[in-house]
Amino acid sequence: MKRSIRIASVALAAGLVLSACASDEEATDAADPAAPEETVTVDPAQTEGGLLAAVQERGTLICGVSQGLPGFSIQGDDGTYTGFDVDYCRAVAAAVLGDADAVDFVELSASARFTALQAGEIDVLIRNTTWTATRDRNEGGSFAATTFYDGQGMMVDTDSGFDTIDDMANTTICVQAGTTTQLNLESQFAARGLPYTALTFEGNDQLQAAYFEGRCDGWTSDLSQLAAFRGTWPDEQGGAESVKILPDVISKEPLGPLTSDGDSEWFDVVQWVVFATFQAEEFGISSANVDSIVASTNPDEEPAIGRFLGLVDGFDPGLGLSPDWAVNVISQVGNYEEIFLRNVGPDTPLGLSRGVNSLWTDGGLLYAPPFR
Amino acid sequence: MAETQQQRPGRATAGQDGPARPPLWRDVRVLRGVLQVGFLVATVALVQWLFGNLTSNLDRLGIRRDFTFLDQPAGFSILGAPDFRAQDTIQNALLLGLGNAVRVAILGVLLSLLIGIVVGVARLSKNWLVARSASAYVELLRNIPPLVLVIFFYLGVLATLPRLTEATFLGDVAIISNRGIWVAWLTFGDGSQPFLTAAAVALVVALGVARWRTTVFDRTGTPHRRVLWAAATFAVVTALAFSVLQPPIEPSLPVLDGRVVTGGAWLYPEYLSLLLSLVLYASSFIAEIVRGSILAVHKGQNEAADALGLSSSQRMRYVILPQALRIAAPAIGNEFLNLTKNVSLGIAVGFAEILRVANTAAGNGQPAPQLLIVVLGAYLFLSLIISVIVNVFNRRLQLVER
Repeated sequence: MKRSIRIASVALAAGLVLSACASDEEATDAADPAAPEETVTVDPAQTEGGLLAAVQERGTLICGVSQGLPGFSIQGDDGTYTGFDVDYCRAVAAAVLGDADAVDFVELSASARFTALQAGEIDVLIRNTTWTATRDRNEGGSFAATTFYDGQGMMVDTDSGFDTIDDMANTTICVQAGTTTQLNLESQFAARGLPYTALTFEGNDQLQAAYFEGRCDGWTSDLSQLAAFRGTWPDEQGGAESVKILPDVISKEPLGPLTSDGDSEWFDVVQWVVFATFQAEEFGISSANVDSIVASTNPDEEPAIGRFLGLVDGFDPGLGLSPDWAVNVISQVGNYEEIFLRNVGPDTPLGLSRGVNSLWTDGGLLYAPPFR
Repeated sequence: MAETQQQRPGRATAGQDGPARPPLWRDVRVLRGVLQVGFLVATVALVQWLFGNLTSNLDRLGIRRDFTFLDQPAGFSILGAPDFRAQDTIQNALLLGLGNAVRVAILGVLLSLLIGIVVGVARLSKNWLVARSASAYVELLRNIPPLVLVIFFYLGVLATLPRLTEATFLGDVAIISNRGIWVAWLTFGDGSQPFLTAAAVALVVALGVARWRTTVFDRTGTPHRRVLWAAATFAVVTALAFSVLQPPIEPSLPVLDGRVVTGGAWLYPEYLSLLLSLVLYASSFIAEIVRGSILAVHKGQNEAADALGLSSSQRMRYVILPQALRIAAPAIGNEFLNLTKNVSLGIAVGFAEILRVANTAAGNGQPAPQLLIVVLGAYLFLSLIISVIVNVFNRRLQLVER
């Protein structure tokens, strides 16, 4: 009896494996001849029933953000989210739905973020995510634009005696798991010939707790994140003065929003919302003056501003949004300067200066293609 | 329920009417066959649908479906494996994770069995304090989720140890800090291989001696003292091998040098908290199994042992435990399986078992579905191996009984 059950279960397992393999073969066999057909049938479906339509139908945007990163996405005592990434979620909602508050925020760990995007649990991932070739291709997402040009740095105790990363041989470094930071740390320390031990954590909270307990000598992350945590360093741990950020910048970390691959319409919407915040700053349009500019602009005299604000009759870039979408973004969220200063600027605990995150006209990297 | 009631009279009438069989749709044998085939088809269809869903979605997102990523460089380092380089492949990283899982599982199984037997026997002690302490141990530990235990040991116990700069030294042999505990260990230099082989041979010889003593005992009744004989054999042979081969094996003492400890064996908090919690959790269940099995041994066996004039420890060792462990073996095997699967909880504290490694790789641009299939397969493989070992062991115990 026992043996027959065992044989049956083995047969069943074998059968399942075989059928799985068979379906795999079928799929690959069928894929080649049917490929052109498939693209024809899939594309219109996406234009008609893509994520843009789904979000508009639903009435809320589901936005994946970080699990509590001061300055970028953090939940206040009253339950509302604030931060740089949060503002870009709100900007997308303002453009797509006309209401910046129509956002459901989903907090994601670094390791879980791409899976959530692939599985369609979120519409857009705005979670201080670094744009890399592998991620753009392998994770099933597309980076729409860079909203923040960051770099990786190292934070250590002020009295540690470390002045550059080269002093840090034989140390233990805390880093978040599943991040580009982790990979940069490895390659930088290997290249400099510094032996070290990496302690990895799923979240910044756990990492910070471990740092407080003295489990590691340094904390490496994007400079903006380090500034955020340093700015809010608890007083019982010595306050912001007890830690310092080393001058070394060991990597390029362009951060930006991602959309799921295969929906170019939705990708374009997110991309142009980002560009709109750049363009608004370039035009000098802010949430304070957008209404008066809309009222006073003559589209015939200032066609560029007119097209941007949707005042030119018959001009529709075909994004599938209402003509005044950029006005909604600016009036409800603001232009890039406002978003930056409000969340991470010199008057915030992070105290970051604009640096390369300035308009191209000011020698920075922010550059929006023309709205025409 | 209603079905069986209907079937019975149906069968009875069929018997009365002679060989006339019920129509096909009421024939129990046909119905059973159809149900089984239907279930099989439904299961296969479901799996096929899920698989098709996965592949089509992966294709839509442009994510690779093959396993070539296993040969790509991992790019990250692995805690507790200083020899692992970022240039090593994902495959090696996963194998290292599997090796870590196996190490914790083997050590966990041995320790939890040992503690479980001791606590299980202690629960039946006539000494009030011993029995109550054992009960408290069991009731406390088996009623806490293992995940909570792991995190408790990590954050609540090991993290509160002194910082490395204020570490506690136990003479020269141990350094205790919240970055880990370093204990004196041995370093095996190059060329110690012949000696290790000799030691393995000595172990085999010692087991042979123990066996020979047992047969002598069975034949003549002279005290076998097989443990003593085996230990002495092992000690003599290894000592001889050591003096002849002069292997480069040296004691390695932990030394704190600034921010780094050199030498010794490093028991890092991630590893220690996982091992401790798994051992305590599994041993509480094994203790209960052992207690139940001891109680399940027939009372007459106790009385017979008393009648022979055996002391209580002799009674336990020669009469009760051998029979109790036979009863306990299948249930303990289950606990070993549970322990092995719970090794995956290491992900909560950053212990680099295979799930954690796969998760890290997935976060760094490698395809999650394939990685998780590898993890599934690895844990399934481990569990099946343990099942086979437990089954073989069981069968041997049962044969002895007959």
